[in-house]
Amino acid sequence: MKQLIDRVDARLDAWGEALKGKEFRFPSDLAAGIVFALVGIAMLLAMPSQITVSGGDVVDGRAFPTLLMTVMLIACAALIGKELVKLARKQPITWKTVNLLVEVKALVILGILLGTYFLSKYTGMFVIGAVFCALGFLVFFRCRKWSYYAITLGLAVGIWCAFRFGLGVSF
Amino acid sequence: MLEFIGPASGLLFTIENILWINIGVFIGSVFAAIPGLTVILCVILFLPFTYQMTAIPGMMFLLGIYCAGGYGGSVSAILINTPGTPHAAATMLDGHPLSKQGRTKAALKIALYASTFGGVFSALMLLFLGPQVARVAAQLGTAEYFMVCLFGLTIIAGVSGKSMIKGIISACIGLLLSCVGTDPMTGYDRLTFGIGRLYMGLDLAVCLIGLFALVEILAKAELKPDALHLDTKKMEDNGVITKEEYKRIVRPVLLSSLIGSLVGIIPGTGASEASWFSYNTAKNMSKHPEEFGHGSVEGIAAAESANNAVTGATLIPLLTLGIPGDGTVAIMLSALMINGLNPGLSLFTTDGDIMYAIMLGLILVNLFMLLQGRFLTRLFAKVVSIPQEILTPIIVIFCFAGAYSVNKNYFDVAVALVFAIIAWVLRKLDMPAVPILLGMVLGNMTETNFRRALLISNGNPSIFFSSIYCIIFLVLIVVAVGTIVRGKLNERKAAQTAGKEH
Repeated sequence: MKQLIDRVDARLDAWGEALKGKEFRFPSDLAAGIVFALVGIAMLLAMPSQITVSGGDVVDGRAFPTLLMTVMLIACAALIGKELVKLARKQPITWKTVNLLVEVKALVILGILLGTYFLSKYTGMFVIGAVFCALGFLVFFRCRKWSYYAITLGLAVGIWCAFRFGLGVSF
Repeated sequence: MLEFIGPASGLLFTIENILWINIGVFIGSVFAAIPGLTVILCVILFLPFTYQMTAIPGMMFLLGIYCAGGYGGSVSAILINTPGTPHAAATMLDGHPLSKQGRTKAALKIALYASTFGGVFSALMLLFLGPQVARVAAQLGTAEYFMVCLFGLTIIAGVSGKSMIKGIISACIGLLLSCVGTDPMTGYDRLTFGIGRLYMGLDLAVCLIGLFALVEILAKAELKPDALHLDTKKMEDNGVITKEEYKRIVRPVLLSSLIGSLVGIIPGTGASEASWFSYNTAKNMSKHPEEFGHGSVEGIAAAESANNAVTGATLIPLLTLGIPGDGTVAIMLSALMINGLNPGLSLFTTDGDIMYAIMLGLILVNLFMLLQGRFLTRLFAKVVSIPQEILTPIIVIFCFAGAYSVNKNYFDVAVALVFAIIAWVLRKLDMPAVPILLGMVLGNMTETNFRRALLISNGNPSIFFSSIYCIIFLVLIVVAVGTIVRGKLNERKAAQTAGKEH
């Protein structure tokens, strides 16, 4: 068993080393401006189908969201414009570096969160999801202390009991 | 005011309230002592508990967490040179050097006494100033209220991140999210995208669990779970503070409490700004500025009294105008509103006994914080060493259980997960999340007043410039924007100069 764990650890370390150095960067302000400009345009386009209005209102339900999206589009234009001016003047723009290892790890964590959610939902037993979550994170952190497993699993069941029997949340 | 003190005291001094205050103070101190866990995260996690309570014990519990969080951050700042909360960073500058000189207990005692004084000072400010501000707020009409909301949002968007434009975009997203659900004026569904459950709107607590709590779990991908080992032998000193030292800390504590309270009243600013501003002021006014950064008792006292003096002051705009002073109290608003208590003058008149009980309770919270700090600091300090392997899944389980218990369904857990992913993307784009929170909190009030004002004026936007209060807030918005933009430009220039020098 110990050998198997060591082998898995060694394999994971090798993958980690391979991913560690892989980084890419992107202009964060420019990207934020473009992303939210697209969100704003999409919302403006979706507004007629998403917000029903009755004719004749001085101010209808679309007025405020439309105003917000207009302000957001102006802000996005300012953000994009500022970065483009910097590029034209050959001034440094804001870059964000993304490390591939970090993103893969974040995806694994997201997997644990989704696993917890689906297990809880489809078994109808929150405690099963809680136990999966505790085990998932202990394995993710490559914990080898059995006492940590006992403590964390005990606490996971304890929290479920507190909500179930203390607060009367039926799950 | 006096007519409410008697009934309020009767409501406040019950075994149940005292118990919840102490539980809140304990949890807040423990959470804040652990680096990486913030007070806002703690309040979000425990908010669902208050849904089962009435207004006073619920608020006492949350205020206990909030106030003790102000002090708890200093424990790890002093002991292991890592601030438990961002606002304890200024405390660390002198707290840890004093600890290294073998005076750990003395440093912790100064932090505790200064925190308590700042907290009580701020609670008294709320008690005396709150009703007066509420009286002024009662004179505001719909157009004026819209301008107040705009003022709050402008400052929050301006000071929440590095870029004011990004802050504005985040605030717009928050305001848009508040539009999801039933239109408050016509009853039609809005922006539900065919998802039936969204007709009730997005629950604030659920969104916050994703935006602020679960995203921190995803952020664990960025670091290794290094255990913080604490040597509790460090706390074996006698902890004596000399008469000379007491004399030296009186002035910075008084001044910093005032600064903290004033900073706290301004929406969007918070404990971090107050503690740094006070720390620098104390340094400039000290007879021993050379000691700052090397274990100055004045430095610890200034930073700690300021960051706790924010706690009561942030409640002034919240309880009078419905504008939260910072992100944490924005969450507390839902604990109040779920009990039918809406911000404004009625809170100080019709519901005066409950409101005064809460305000008096804030003083009590600080006194219990002093007691727990005196006797349980060693325990708080040990908590610093809880390994991430245990802490992380426990937080996730709390988040999921909390999100589920809001409306007793898994749809809300899914919403929290979606918000966690959105928050992760926002981080990658360097977008601040606090304006989204404030946008969601203020959204309904901003829109309702905007539309009502335009209905009154038959669609004429000049109503927003028609009264003296509107003009005052307009001027305040212009001044705030000017000051923020100037500050950002100065920061950029300083950074460029520093870059050239290196």
